[in-house]
Order: sequence, then structure tokens, then C-alpha cells
Amino acid sequence: MTAIVEVSGLTKRFGSLAAVNDISFSIEENRICGLLGRNGAGKTTLMQLLTGQDFATHGDLRVFGMSPVENASVLHNISFIKESQRYPDDFRARHVMKSAPWFFRNWDSDLAERLVDDFRLPLDRKIKKLSRGQLSSIGVIVGLASRAPLTFFDEPYLGLDAVARQIFYDRLLEDYSEHPRTIVLSTHLIDEVANLLEHVLVIDDGRIIIDEEAETLRGSATTVVGTRAAVDSFVGSRTVLHRDGIGGLASVTVTGLSAQERVDAAASGLELAPVSLQQLIIHTTNTTDREFA
Amino acid sequence: MSTTTTAHAPATALQRVVNVMRLHFANPWTTIILPWMILGVIFAANVALWWLILTNLDSSADRSDVADGLQYSGASMFIFFYMTVVAVQAISVTFPFALGYGVTRRDYYLGSALTFVVLAAMYSAGMTVLSVIEEATGGWGLGGRMFTAVYFGDGGWPERLFVFFTAFLFFLFVGAAIATIWVRWKAMGLTAFFVILGLIVIVAFAVLTFTSGWAVVGDFFAGAGWLGSFAWSLVVTAAAGITGFFILRRATPRT
Repeated sequence: MTAIVEVSGLTKRFGSLAAVNDISFSIEENRICGLLGRNGAGKTTLMQLLTGQDFATHGDLRVFGMSPVENASVLHNISFIKESQRYPDDFRARHVMKSAPWFFRNWDSDLAERLVDDFRLPLDRKIKKLSRGQLSSIGVIVGLASRAPLTFFDEPYLGLDAVARQIFYDRLLEDYSEHPRTIVLSTHLIDEVANLLEHVLVIDDGRIIIDEEAETLRGSATTVVGTRAAVDSFVGSRTVLHRDGIGGLASVTVTGLSAQERVDAAASGLELAPVSLQQLIIHTTNTTDREFA
Repeated sequence: MSTTTTAHAPATALQRVVNVMRLHFANPWTTIILPWMILGVIFAANVALWWLILTNLDSSADRSDVADGLQYSGASMFIFFYMTVVAVQAISVTFPFALGYGVTRRDYYLGSALTFVVLAAMYSAGMTVLSVIEEATGGWGLGGRMFTAVYFGDGGWPERLFVFFTAFLFFLFVGAAIATIWVRWKAMGLTAFFVILGLIVIVAFAVLTFTSGWAVVGDFFAGAGWLGSFAWSLVVTAAAGITGFFILRRATPRT
């Protein structure tokens, strides 16, 4: 495995605000990596740094082994259409489809045409007259059809309906399995993409708080449900991510249970429920909020 | 049939720059079609005007008076100022878009500069052809003047071509520099720029007035001559072009 993105001690400040705060991580080649976090957590800033669109305050940043800033040989292999991507005012979608192949060597125009049909994108309407969803679908189409070795999707489906989102997930997986490449998917619709992800990075308040294989993460937390007394005695001094309770009943989310502990829990009449990636992240980001507060 | 997407070597520097120019012309509406259309409308209005004047004049003395006045026609001035708008629009809307396509700021700026040179060449060639027709037809058969106004020189079409070309370059690159200020610092930057520019102009006027420096300025332009003055504008054009490059090098696409 080779790391395609290597970041160490990366910081980006806007005045006194550290949008990205001393973070280090790497992204392996040919994986789908989720970059998850709340709005304003620093996802877009981080991707702008990785694509040379913004300048780091300090820290080291290597993409394909080199700094991406003003580096044509790096940027050439990157596709990054932001959620807030602006298009030239007088452009129609067909102008985007016409010009994209000049910049992306792997551009697949058959795939682009198919996606235009899938998303029912009107090619001849002015871009500023498109709906929010149609605008998003342009970004999705460019991101997929460009087949760049490193592709960033930043909240790619703002305004896309459930059907269109499903089409996006299906096409993404389909094309990814035929043409493996590194895909970084930033989103807050975590449950919808949970099954696509192979690696998960969670950013909160400018810091990476989770950097883990998706598989490991899925089994990393469990919710224990039962009577308050039984739950409390079982939980003991474990790290509690979340606690809920009604009357004499308690529901507590804890990290890492071994097989033996699961058997013990069942024996003491407790119910164990899996925690979805989304819940896990909600609980984790809330916890850190409190710790930093 | 799994084919890994392999990383490519970049296109040659020239190809990358030319691709940026193709992006500017992907939709030629704002940069080419609209300006010519507006110029066409202005021309049509002028033709109507010349015809009205001509049909209402009796004596040849009156006609020569009118011809004398028409040489100061400012009808085609719009197209020069409009080039500033074209440059500002072109840069402010395609810069964030081109960076999304993985274009470096350097290639983007060089490609835009190439676009502006091509635009200047195209517009000045078109205007020169029109001016030659205007001469050959005795002012479109009506004694009208739009493309041979005195400001464009009196030395025939090569001189006019030079005046057109340098003037177009000037307005395009000044527009490009203003656009880079906008792209990098947004409204705050533009406001600061125009305030500072205004102050500089006022101070320069004051200094020239109090030191009787206007004579020196007058002598400079008189010495340079009409064509020479246009040649000197290339210095300002180049300065704007180079400044714009360095401003854009550190600009980030923001929303």
C-alpha cells in the first residue's frame, strides 16, 4: 500500500480561527475514504489545502509525494468539484461537458453521457437557472467521469433527491470497482455512505478525532440496554460515549467490547445493540465538544 | 477488466496554457458575440442618423461642416471600455472554475493573458477592416465616420490597426488586473484600490498644478506624438499584466 496523501502538522488559520489545527494523517491509494464532520468542522478547508486551492499556514503536505501548490503534475491527477463550486455565469451544462476532457486525461465521455441521462440533467439550460440538485449533479458527473486518480467529492449531493443519491452511490461503486482510484468523500449524510467507505476520517473543530478503518469502527462501539442498576454495574469505569434513560431503564453506548464481555452482558440480562457509524460519530463529536469546553 | 487509473504526466506547458484559452472561448457569448452585437446596433443607429442628417441638408457647405464634426465620433468608444468588463468577467467567473479543473494559477493567468491578446488581435483586425470599408465607401455612402474617427490616427489603416491593438490590450489588461484584485481581496480590496487610485490621481494633479508640471506632461505627449503615446501605453499595459500575475498567484477561490 502506498500513501497518496501524507499530511503532518498541517495548520490553516484565518485570523485567530484555526480552521485546520495541527493535523496529521495519510490516505492510502485506491480506497474510498470518508471525510466526515459537522458543518464548519474544517472539511472543505482541508480539501482546499490538499488540492492546492488554499495555502497552509504551516505544516507539511504531500500529495503523490509532492506539494500540490501550483504543481501541475500533481493537480493534473486531481478532480475536486466543491459543493459551492461556481461555474461561469453564461455557461450551460454542455459547456462543462465540452471543456472537462481538456483538463482530465481519463475523461470518459460515454460515462458522462450516461450520467447526464441518469440524472436527467438539462444540458442546454443556463447553469444559473438550474435547481440546486441539478447543479450538484454536474459536480457528481464531472467527479465520476473525470476518473482522476485522486477524486474529492465535497458534499456532492446537496439538493439531490433520494433516487439521485442512490444513483450516485451505485455508479460510484460500479465505476470504482472497474477503475480503482482514490476517492475522498466528504459528507454529513453518514449512514447513507457508511457501506461505501473503507476508511474513515472524522474532523471536528479543525482536528482529526477519528482515523480508522471503517470495518474496525463498525464494531468499535455497542449500546447496552437494561435496568439502570444492571447497566451501571456492567459499564463500570468504561468510556461512555452516550447515555440515555427512561425511568428505571438505561441505554449506554460504550467503546470496545470483547467477545467474553458480550457473553457476560447477555448473561446479566442486558441487551446489546450495534451502533451505526452516524451515531458513533455524533456521540464522539459531542464528547469532544464537552472535553474542549 | 479492471484497469487502474494511473497517474499521468501533465500535458506540456503550452498545451495547458492553450487549454485555459479554450475554456475562455468555450462559450463565446460574452467575449465575442455580445460585444460585436452591441457594436452592430450602435453602427445601425449611426447609419440611421447619418441618413437623416444627409437627407435634411441642402448646401454642400453644410455637408462639409457635418463631415468635419463626424470625425470626432465617439460611437465606437464603447467597445474599448467594454473590453475592461470582458476581462473582469472572464477572470472572476472562470478562475474558481478552472482551479476546480486542477489548473495552476500560473497556467490560468498565462492562458487568460493569451486569450486577451487573441481578443485584442481579433477586435483590432475587425475594426481595421471596417475602417477600410468606411474609407472606400465614402463613409458607408453617407459621409459617416465611426471607425476612422480622428482618435484612431490619420495615417491610413496600418496606423489605425496599431492604435486599435494597443488600446484593446490596454483596456483588457487593466481589466485583468482589477479582476485579480477582486478575486483575491473581494469588495474590500477593490474599494481600497479605487480609494488609493483616487488619492494618487488627486495628489498627482495637485503636484502638477503647483509645480507647473502640466507643461512637462504636455511636452512628453507632444514629443511622443499620437502614435508614440499609444506605444507608451504598452508600458502601462505590461505593468498591469505583470501586477495581475503576482496578485493572482496567491489568490484562493472563495465563495
